[in-house]
Amino acid sequence: MSCSAPRFIPLAILLISCVIIAGCTASASNTGFFGKTQPPDRNVLRYITGDEPESIDPHKTTGQPETRILMALYEGLVEYDPKTMDPIPAIAERWDENNDSSEFVFHLRKNARWSNGDPINANDFVYSMRRALNPETRARGASLGYYIKYAQAYNSGEVFVHDAQSNTFLLARDFTPNAAPPPLSEQPLSGDGEFRPNAQESQPDRDTAFHQLMHSPERLTLPGDEKARNKLLAKDAKLQAAVAGKDFVRVRAEDIGVEAVDDSIVRISLSQSAPFFKGLLANQLFRLVPRKIVEQYGEHWTEVGHIVSCGPFKLQSWKPYDVLKVVRDPVYWDAANVHLDEIDFYPTTDLPTELNLYKVGYVDALGNHAVPNAWVDTVRVAKDYMDAPEAGSIYLLINTTKPPMNDLRVRKAFDMAIDKDTWVKWRKITRPLTGITPLGIFHDYQLPTPVKFDPEQARQLLGAAGFPVTKKSDGSYSCPSFPDGQVEYMYPTATSNKIQAEFMQAQWKQNLGIVVQLRAMEFKTFIDARANLDYKGFAFGGFSADYMDPFTFLSIFYTQAGDNSTGWWDQKYVDLLDEGNRTPDRAKRFELLAKAESLMMAAQPIIPLETGAVNWLKKPYVKGMYPNAGSVFAWKDVYIERDPAKWDYATPDMK
Amino acid sequence: MLRFIIRRLLITIPTILVVITLTWGLIRLAPGNFYSGEKKLPKSVEAAIREKYGLNQPWYVQYAKTMSHILRLDFGTSLKYEGQSVNHIIARSLPVSATVGLLAYLLALAVGIGVGCIAALKQNSFWDYASMTLAMLGISIPNFVLGPLLVLTFSLYLYWVPPARWYGFFNRGLILPVLTLSAVYMAYIARLTRAGMLEVLRSDYIRTARAKGLSEKAIIMRHALRGGLMPVVSFTGPALAFILTGTVVVERIFSLPGLGNYFIQASLNRDEPLILGIVAFVAMTLLMMNLLVDIAYGFLDPRIRY
Repeated sequence: MSCSAPRFIPLAILLISCVIIAGCTASASNTGFFGKTQPPDRNVLRYITGDEPESIDPHKTTGQPETRILMALYEGLVEYDPKTMDPIPAIAERWDENNDSSEFVFHLRKNARWSNGDPINANDFVYSMRRALNPETRARGASLGYYIKYAQAYNSGEVFVHDAQSNTFLLARDFTPNAAPPPLSEQPLSGDGEFRPNAQESQPDRDTAFHQLMHSPERLTLPGDEKARNKLLAKDAKLQAAVAGKDFVRVRAEDIGVEAVDDSIVRISLSQSAPFFKGLLANQLFRLVPRKIVEQYGEHWTEVGHIVSCGPFKLQSWKPYDVLKVVRDPVYWDAANVHLDEIDFYPTTDLPTELNLYKVGYVDALGNHAVPNAWVDTVRVAKDYMDAPEAGSIYLLINTTKPPMNDLRVRKAFDMAIDKDTWVKWRKITRPLTGITPLGIFHDYQLPTPVKFDPEQARQLLGAAGFPVTKKSDGSYSCPSFPDGQVEYMYPTATSNKIQAEFMQAQWKQNLGIVVQLRAMEFKTFIDARANLDYKGFAFGGFSADYMDPFTFLSIFYTQAGDNSTGWWDQKYVDLLDEGNRTPDRAKRFELLAKAESLMMAAQPIIPLETGAVNWLKKPYVKGMYPNAGSVFAWKDVYIERDPAKWDYATPDMK
Repeated sequence: MLRFIIRRLLITIPTILVVITLTWGLIRLAPGNFYSGEKKLPKSVEAAIREKYGLNQPWYVQYAKTMSHILRLDFGTSLKYEGQSVNHIIARSLPVSATVGLLAYLLALAVGIGVGCIAALKQNSFWDYASMTLAMLGISIPNFVLGPLLVLTFSLYLYWVPPARWYGFFNRGLILPVLTLSAVYMAYIARLTRAGMLEVLRSDYIRTARAKGLSEKAIIMRHALRGGLMPVVSFTGPALAFILTGTVVVERIFSLPGLGNYFIQASLNRDEPLILGIVAFVAMTLLMMNLLVDIAYGFLDPRIRY
C-alpha cells in the first residue's frame, strides 16, 4: 500500500492539466482570433520576415525577406503605397516625366537626412545608382536598372568604339537594320512641349552638357571581353570593317543616364520608353547607400557601429538567425509620423514554428505564405487572417526546343488536358491564371482568354500531331505512340510542389493516357538545369512582380536569355511590347501589352496554372499593415492600437 | 600516457585532412552555386563573383588555398553572408548549441544514471519495468516528434513556456529544447547504466567486497558504479561532441541560432567556407572527445594502461 500515494500523483497532474487545457482552448476560441491578442507592452512590432537576411546592403539582395527589412532602413526616390504599391513620394517629393516616358526628373525634398545627420542630395543618388550597376558591386538585381541609358553596357563591362581621327563614336543606329524610332530621351532637345502638359513645371530641368550627350544618338556598344567581341565581329563583316583601326573605350559609371542637375534635382534618361520605371524605383536596388561609409568600411559598412542609413528606422542590433532590431530614427525627415519605436525582425522559415510563436503571442505578424495548405481551413476562419490576391504567377515552362514539345499542337493538348478549376479549388486560396499576368491585380488590363478544360479536343490535337489516343475497353485512355521517355516534369523539392506535380501527372494520365515522369530536384540544382534549358518537357515556373505593371511579367519572354528558359522567342512579341511602352495613353498601352500576351499564349511556351494568394496573419492590434499584392510594408505607417474598439476585426479595407 | 596522447593528437591531423578533402569534393560535385538563385544573374555579375572568390582558377589551386587556410585555423569568409567571417559565425553560434547541449547532457547523465542504478538495484521490480518502458519510449520517439508534442502541451495549451526562439542563456525558453534533446540520451544512458551495473554486481570483486563486510552504500558508490559506468563513458564521449556542436533537428524545431542550424543553411546555400569550417570544427571536437574518453578509461578501469 505504500506505493499508492506516488502512483496517484501523475494521475492528479494529468487531470489538472486536462482542466487547464480545456479552459485555455475555450477562452481562445471565444474571440475568433488565432491565439492570444495581448498587445506588447512597448511600442514594438515583432515580425517574422522569413529567411535570415543575406545582407542588409540594398544592392546585394533581391529576396522578399530582405526587402521588408531594407524598407525600414533605407529610402529611395519613391516608396511603395501601403495598399496599392504604386509609387508615392519618398525622398523625391514630386517628379515629371517626358511624353514617351523615357526621361524622368525627380525633385528631392530639402529636409531629407542620413541617420548621422548629413543632408541627402542629388549626388547621393548618382553615386548609389552607379554603385548598384557597377559589375564589381555584384548586384543580383542589377538587370532591373538596365532601362537606364548605357546601364546594361556598363554593368556588362562593354565598350564604346571610338574613332581617334574624327573624335567620334560609332553609333548603334548605323548597325541595326530597321531599328524602331528612338525614344525622346535620345532625340535632340526640343525645349517646350517635351514634357507632358500635366507636368508641374513647364521647364523642369536645366540643360547641361551631360544632358546634351544623353540626347544624342545612342552609341554602339560591344562586349568588353575580347573573345566574345571577336566572335561577334566575325559574324558581321560590315561591323568588322567599321571597327577596324578604332579604339575600344570601356563604358564608365559616368556614362550612365543618371545626373544630378543640381543639389535637389535628379534626372534619369532611359534607353527606351518605360512608363513603369518610376514604380521600379521603389525596389531596393534604387535605395540610397551612404558613399562615405561604403568607401570607408568596404564590405563591413553594414555592421552595427558603421552603418548609416536613411529610412524611418536605423539598425540597433543584428544577431544572425536570432533577431535583427531596428529603432526609430529621430533625424528621419518624417520622424513625426513614424509610430513604432522598434521593429524586431525574426528569421524563421519553419512554418509550424512561425504559427506557434504567433498563436502564443510571441510575435505580432507573420511574413507572406505563413499558412501551409493543410492549416488553411483552420486558420482562414480567424479574423486576423489576411486574404488578398498576390502579384505572383505559377505556371509550367515548356522546353519548346525538343520534340515532341516543339509541336504547338502537343503543347496545347497538354494545357487543355488539365482541369485547373479543380486544382484551384483544392488549393483553396489561389485563383486561376490565364496567361502569365496574374488575375485581379491590374483591373484595367485585359487578360488572355482562358484555355478551356477540354480533354476531348486535347486528344484530337495529339492525334493530329501524330500521337493518336485510343480508348481502352475499361474506359481509360492510352497513347502508345507518344514518346513518354522524352517528356518529364521537373520541379524543386517541396511538399506543395510535389502535390502539384502529382496532380498534373494524374490529369495527363487520366485524360491523355500519357504518363509523365516526375523529377524532384534540390532547389539550386533545379535552378541550374532550368536556366540552361536542361530539361525535357516541363519545368516548374513561378514569378513575383518586381513592380506593379503587367510588363514585369511580360518581360520574362522579352529576351531569349535571362528567366525565359523555354526556348520560345518572337520579334513580333517584342515589337508589340516596345510599341506599348512608347504609348503614353494607359488604356492603349495596356491594349498593346495584352495583344502581346495573347500572341505569346497562342504559341504556348507555358501552361498557366494559378494566380498566387497573399496568405499571412497579423494581430488585430497591428494597424496600418495591409495585405497588398507584394507583401511589402511601409513601416512608418504601422502602429500598435491599444483600444480594442479600433482593432481590425477582418482583413483591413484596401480601398 | 603522454606518448599515447601525443600519438593520438598527431593522428587527428591526417584524419581531419581526409574529412575536409572529402567534404570539399562533395561540395564540388553538387550542382548549383552559392550565387545561383530564382532569377538568373547578369553574366557580368556572375563573372565578377567568380573572379572575386577565385572560382575561375584551376581546382588544385583552389584546393591548396582552402587547405592552407584551414590548417592555419582561418576558415575564411562566408559566401552567402558577405563580410561575416566563418570563425566569427562559429564563435557566435557555438555558445548557443553548447548551452543547450551541456544542459541536456547533464540532465541526461543525472537522470539516466540515477534511473539506471535504481533499475539495476531493484531488478524485476515495478520500478525496473516502469523505467525501462519509459527508456524504450525515449529511444523510439524521434525528437522531431517529441519536440512538437512538448510544444503543443506546454506552449500552445498551457502557455507556460515559449514555443521557439532563443531568449538568452538560462531562460525558461530553454526548457523545451533541453528536454527534447536530452530524452534520447537519457534513455540510452539509463539502459547502459542498468546493463553495466547488473553485470558488475554479479562479478567476483563485488562478491569479495561484500564478503569483507563493506556497507552496501560503499560497495555501490566505490566499486560497482565505477565499473558499471564503463559503457556509459564510451557512449557519452562522442555523444557529448555531437550534442555540444549543434543538433540540427532540435535547433530547427525551436529556431535556435546554433551551429546545427547554420550547417543546414550552409549546405543548402553551397556556402563552401562555412561548410568546411563547421565540418572541420565538429571533426576536431569529436576526435578530442574520443581522446578524452580513452583517457577516462584509464582512470575508471585499473586493468587499462597506456
